[in-house]
Amino acid sequence: MKITSDRLAPWAAYVVVGVGALIMLAPFYFMFVFATHSRTEIFSLPPPLFFGDDFLSNLKILTDRMPFWRNLGWSLYVALASTLLTLLFCSLGGYAFAMFEFKFKNALFGLVMGTMLLPSFMNMIPTFMIMDALGWIDQPKALYIPGAASAFGIFLMRQFVSSSIPKELIEAARMDGCGELSIYARIVLPLLKPALGTLGLITFIASWNNFIGPLIVMRSPEMYTLPLALRSLQSPVNTEWGALMTGSAIATLPLVVLFVLSSRQLISGLTAGAVK
Amino acid sequence: MKLPAALRLSPEWAPYVFLSPFVVLFAVFGVFPLGFSLYLAFQSWEPTSGLSAMEFVGFDNYVFALKDEWFWKSLKNTAWLAIASGVPQHVVAIPLAYFIHSSFKTLRNGVVGAYFMPYITSTVAIAILFSSLFSTDYGLINVGINMLAQVPVLSWFLPANPVDWLNDPASIKPAIAMIVFWRYVGFNVVLYLAALQTIPADIYEAATMDGAGRLQQFFYITLPSLKPMIFFGVTLSVIGGLQLFEEPFILTGGRGGSDQSGMTTAIYLYRMAFDFNDFGAASAMSWLLFVVVVVLTWLTNRAFRPRGPSA
Amino acid sequence: MRERIQRGRLRRRSPWLCLSLCLFMLSVPSVQAQQSLIVAAYPAVDEIVKSALPAWKRLHPNVEVKVVSRQFTDHHTAMTTALSTSFYLPDVMALEVGYVGRFAQGGGLDDLSKPPYDIKRFESRWVPYALQQATNRKGAIVAAPTDIGPGTLLYRTDVLAKAGVSEADLTQSWEGYVATGAKIKAATGSYLMAHARDMKDILIRTGIQPGEGLYFDSQSNVLVTSPRFVRAFELARKVRQGKLDARVGAWSNEWSEGFKRGTIATQMTGAWLAGHMNNWLAPSTRGLWRAAPLPERAFAAYGGTFFAIPRATPAANKPLAWEFIQLMTLDRNVQLSAFKTQDAFPALLETYDDPFFDQPIEFLGGQVARVGWRDAARRISAVTVHKQDAFADEVINTELDKVLDRNKDIATALADAQRLLQQRAHR
Repeated sequence: MKITSDRLAPWAAYVVVGVGALIMLAPFYFMFVFATHSRTEIFSLPPPLFFGDDFLSNLKILTDRMPFWRNLGWSLYVALASTLLTLLFCSLGGYAFAMFEFKFKNALFGLVMGTMLLPSFMNMIPTFMIMDALGWIDQPKALYIPGAASAFGIFLMRQFVSSSIPKELIEAARMDGCGELSIYARIVLPLLKPALGTLGLITFIASWNNFIGPLIVMRSPEMYTLPLALRSLQSPVNTEWGALMTGSAIATLPLVVLFVLSSRQLISGLTAGAVK
Repeated sequence: MKLPAALRLSPEWAPYVFLSPFVVLFAVFGVFPLGFSLYLAFQSWEPTSGLSAMEFVGFDNYVFALKDEWFWKSLKNTAWLAIASGVPQHVVAIPLAYFIHSSFKTLRNGVVGAYFMPYITSTVAIAILFSSLFSTDYGLINVGINMLAQVPVLSWFLPANPVDWLNDPASIKPAIAMIVFWRYVGFNVVLYLAALQTIPADIYEAATMDGAGRLQQFFYITLPSLKPMIFFGVTLSVIGGLQLFEEPFILTGGRGGSDQSGMTTAIYLYRMAFDFNDFGAASAMSWLLFVVVVVLTWLTNRAFRPRGPSA
Repeated sequence: MRERIQRGRLRRRSPWLCLSLCLFMLSVPSVQAQQSLIVAAYPAVDEIVKSALPAWKRLHPNVEVKVVSRQFTDHHTAMTTALSTSFYLPDVMALEVGYVGRFAQGGGLDDLSKPPYDIKRFESRWVPYALQQATNRKGAIVAAPTDIGPGTLLYRTDVLAKAGVSEADLTQSWEGYVATGAKIKAATGSYLMAHARDMKDILIRTGIQPGEGLYFDSQSNVLVTSPRFVRAFELARKVRQGKLDARVGAWSNEWSEGFKRGTIATQMTGAWLAGHMNNWLAPSTRGLWRAAPLPERAFAAYGGTFFAIPRATPAANKPLAWEFIQLMTLDRNVQLSAFKTQDAFPALLETYDDPFFDQPIEFLGGQVARVGWRDAARRISAVTVHKQDAFADEVINTELDKVLDRNKDIATALADAQRLLQQRAHR
């Protein structure tokens, strides 16, 4: 009985997982297909199923209407800066929350979690006020610095540290005479690699796709990041669907590349049992 | 390489130093908006008149919100959507992550990548794609259902006529739930995979030697070890589900759909603030929602860690 | 000047450097400064503004105009944010008619009827309803009109011919319109309209008493149980019961497909839709459409653009901002060029004698439609706006859906709407 189910179950599971993967990818595929059609074709029923030949003309509309490559550059810069800063601040903070006891620890953590519970668009006006007071309007640092205090990031890091780094290890290192900073840098950080990879990926994606932040802070089209820039193609009556899909498709590519690169870090490779 | 004694951090000071960058940023960019929003909840404010137009009205906004039919409707919608999209995410993601972790070696990245792609896709693209896919007469989803309905057994479960996904109040909720599921199941798979990495392989080896089968190992080793990550994932889903905004927004064009059946509380808040220009009421409602989320998060906390913090 | 110093202050590190710089700038006698004017707009208004820049340059060679353009909704959100904090306001703000009402209620925009603007002296130069549309309850005029969207009935002449009915059958009366729709359905299978809601939208705008708004009157009493609403709902229900509407939303795939295939026989819309149909919605149907006046001599507006000056803009910029607005709204050439290139129907009456109006429109089979639209534009009446109009819109649409889809009784539906609106009328 056990033998049969052991053989049958994996086979069926492979099929289900495979079909699931195709369903997951289908809309993605259509995005690329739509990117190669003109808007009249996209807007028709049934929609096109295979690639067309309007890619270049869509690209032309795209680059005519906005400084597309420049916006892409800004998106990259902001996302990278955001990721690095967030990883640094949140790993430090998460480690502190998980491994140390200090005054107001729970209250502070509660407050941090509290900010996660308010919808981000409610912050638009106060954020605008702060950015103006700091003089950061129309500057990229207004996009990557605030995000480094990510409640999600700290939450993830704290979870990870407390569940996969034993206190004894830290104590042992302290007794060996290691300074706090080097404990952090040489013991904790390497053990956090999967979490860092995950948080890094998620932060990059969130920064890349964020459009409310740039909407509040950026004023000149040359400073826009991609999602905001692409919105200029949309209007209630006159959307350039083809160019929009082309822009979205191109905008997705760096994320795909990033995922491919980091997935090796994240998924394969790490030996379990590195703790001991 | 050791730092000179003067610069070395003592264990007592270390947490403060480690936390300070985060706390500084948080105080500026997190606390001020929070305080502003709290202050605003007690004011009557029509934003285009400028900051000086705020008028103190005490609890008036809260009373209005609690008496507002649409507010309660939005809470019900939100609850339905949070459960309908959140539960399948985890129920599917955990076994899926385990299966990928144990059964795929070379194809692993590809499979995970496929499931993760939806998370990467931008909202704009999703809006256009799904509006097209959910189209009543020619959308591929209805075409697919039609084809499946030809199969004798399945036809009992599937609707006979094309479903008017986007316009019929009864079907817009499932449509939104489907999109949310599609978008986040891969995200949860990645989270669980990262956690699965930290379970030592020797435990499984020992169990296999003791004669435990795959399924038993899953229930008795994997699941308990995943508990912290499940707690994390579920908390995120609770918070995210209750604050659901993007997917219903794009599918209903920012309005919440026919009969407001797709209007989550977050969307209603947004409309109160930017469409109906009533920022005071919007703030009050966001705090009421906050209370709901806090209560549910606390309950999740209790459910997963009945005895206080543990590793 | 003050603005520039303000921004500079925040960027310089040393306050002393800044102070000495400021003193220096103040002491040097007026260097020929390049002033700049910031105009915030959205597509396609941004194109219209940009194409007027050469004319501006001739008037004010020293004043540079910066156009900040955002997507339509984003622009209005950004303007709300800017007005709420009084930071980073443009000198000139473009607003769509739907938002003018909302923005007019607060005090964020300058009252153009006061000196030095005195916009009332230009009142007779524009289409009458336009200026009224930008007037709030206190009598302040907050914006100047630049383009309007006269409502029209576009219909498929081939479908009508097949059903043996004429344009007059459609436009004689609303009941006649519906009856003709039944004939069209019977003969050709095409729907009369895209959604019954479209008809409700026009019908509730007919028969508004002076001083009344669409949903509320000047005392914020709710008007939704009045006869025009009942008639609108009854006719909409008749349309639905006769299966005369395609039940598709505007701008959806099914909608545009309906145009391409001729399954939607008529569409009540702004005149500008003909341009869109020609360009990308349904170019293959060129020559098959005609434009008619709305049934039963109804006149309504679909869209329109206005320009306003925020109250908190630096006072030094306001005279230039006002001049710019006058250029955009009162200059015959600018208005006509916007009409010819961007299909922006002028609000300026002086342009109405231009031969462009008499030119045949190819998409409409050579019909000289602009003459009819010009006539309609003069007869649209303004509707006073109320803060809760957007909400009321939503509530009425919801109740209509319940009447149409679930057979809810009309009196109950309107009473429910009344109740919901009553709760918020005075907020």
